[in-house]
Amino acid sequence: MTAATPTTSAATPPAVVVHRVTFARVLRAEWIKFRTLRSTVWTVVITALVMIGFALMMASLMRLAADTPEMAEGMNNDPGFQSLGMSGTTVITLGYSFAQLAVAVLAALIVTNEYSTGMIRSTFAAVPKRLPALWAKLVVIVLTTVVVIALALGVAYLVTLPILDAANLTVDLSDPEQVRALGGCVLYLATVAAFSLAVGALMRHSAGAIFTLVAIFFVLPIIFSIVVAASDAAWTDWVNKLLPSVAGERIISTGPSSDVLLDPWVGYSVLAGYTVVLLVAAAVTLKRRDA
Amino acid sequence: MIEAHGLTKRYGPKLAVDDVTFTVRPGVVTGFLGPNGAGKSTTMRMITGLDRPTAGTVTVNGRPYAQHRAPLAEVGALLEAKAVHPGRTARQHLQALAATHGIATARVDEVIELTGLTPVARKRVGGFSLGMGQRLGVAVALLGDPRTLILDEPVNGLDPEGVLWVRNLAKYLAGQGRTVFLSSHLMSEVALTADHVIVIGRGRILADMSVQELLDGASRRTVRVRSPQATALADALRRDGAEVTAGDDGALDVAGLEAARIGEAAAAAGVVLHELTPQASTLEEAYMALTADSVEYHAEDVAAVSAAEPSRTREQAATSEGEAR
Repeated sequence: MTAATPTTSAATPPAVVVHRVTFARVLRAEWIKFRTLRSTVWTVVITALVMIGFALMMASLMRLAADTPEMAEGMNNDPGFQSLGMSGTTVITLGYSFAQLAVAVLAALIVTNEYSTGMIRSTFAAVPKRLPALWAKLVVIVLTTVVVIALALGVAYLVTLPILDAANLTVDLSDPEQVRALGGCVLYLATVAAFSLAVGALMRHSAGAIFTLVAIFFVLPIIFSIVVAASDAAWTDWVNKLLPSVAGERIISTGPSSDVLLDPWVGYSVLAGYTVVLLVAAAVTLKRRDA
Repeated sequence: MIEAHGLTKRYGPKLAVDDVTFTVRPGVVTGFLGPNGAGKSTTMRMITGLDRPTAGTVTVNGRPYAQHRAPLAEVGALLEAKAVHPGRTARQHLQALAATHGIATARVDEVIELTGLTPVARKRVGGFSLGMGQRLGVAVALLGDPRTLILDEPVNGLDPEGVLWVRNLAKYLAGQGRTVFLSSHLMSEVALTADHVIVIGRGRILADMSVQELLDGASRRTVRVRSPQATALADALRRDGAEVTAGDDGALDVAGLEAARIGEAAAAAGVVLHELTPQASTLEEAYMALTADSVEYHAEDVAAVSAAEPSRTREQAATSEGEAR
């Protein structure tokens, strides 16, 4: 490797054109960072495939049920199944509970991998006000999630259409509840991304952030669903319905509202509230702490 | 121009940088010299706004770093090699940083060329050697054509050719009227590159002077004498106020007396001299003398050091005892 002699340097004309840092430029930089990592690209692809795959699986199952009288009867008598308020929308949004893990991990890693690699110091040297970098990351991950999930739902809709049609369970876009649930699926996952980005920025360690997010979005709801079923205590009901995922995913639900859970928009607002609080906390600490 | 005033950084009970005031002027290379843990990196991180000072202020080109609208055009910093995500290529890393300041891709390719990274520009940084990582760090520092350069241990991990290149680059940039602030824990490196030197130890400024002044001022001149009547000679010299140390090979190291005065003292005492050699202290010794009390991490194996440098070992031992108390 031979280095050029410094005589060809920088300072010789033509002068280097350097502009001031604007949010649009920081956003462009964050987008470059996002798309140049193979891991992020793969995670995005896997998220979409999970959404589509679960939709196909569930659609096939419903089709099978429609063709098998005993199975249909079993489903009709299963209260848990009925509470899902089974519709075509339920089928194509089913993958969200797994996609949310991929989205959460991706969003957290966008921040934590900069801390673990030291990249954050390059980022903050270029954007010393720091907050534009955080908001740019937020915009990148939220917009990416919205686009990817919307596309995945679109593909899921198309590939399951013939199967669901035969099961007499098509997505009804004239039903406001189903439209709300479809849009809600996109909104929920985008909000999970924002929530997770904030957790990543607060914790700054990949393993810790991922553990926390898996606990919040996966483990706690399972534990509380058992606790709620086993206990009569009112507080368990309240904690359960206020869990970020349990509250937030109400926006994706269809069918009769439940008396132990929040209404769809109320539930979503709870998740959005947590997210705003975490983002503010992340912004304050990011500004104050040493990089 | 970098101006630090009363700059202080405390990590818990430990004072990493203690009320430091200095100015780094444009047009010359200023070395920032100190043992490991002396506070060099912390100071540089405070200059670039990465660490928040506990007290005091530091400005670059007249403003705190974070208040510059285009910081990369003001300050180019190499703070540590590989402040880079290993999954990106060198070019992608530079492009992402360039984007924040609307710097054209042509400039990205220019700094790649300038730092000799062209053959590996499209390879992922994860596979880079320490030397290539340093070159990438220098490329980042040069990206915005900054008026001030801050280079923390820039020659770390570079091969001899790379070391020479950094030296010439630093001098060249200073020659263009830029401010170049370069840290090292090696006196010899600073002496070869810098015109001015700021020495830091245990978070305090020990010296802020030209390299030549440091050499003249801090050097401790000794004279090596050899005599068959070493004991009598030592007694005679001590009476004259000299500090006499027995060398490992039977010679005496005498401090505090000129060679001529030693010869006269020997003659007066009727002692035969076999050798009388003035010892000019080296750069490294001047630096050691300056930082002897402020070395944060002493080597465990004092015996190995004592064989080579008896006089220094005594100082170290004294320091260690002081610490123990």
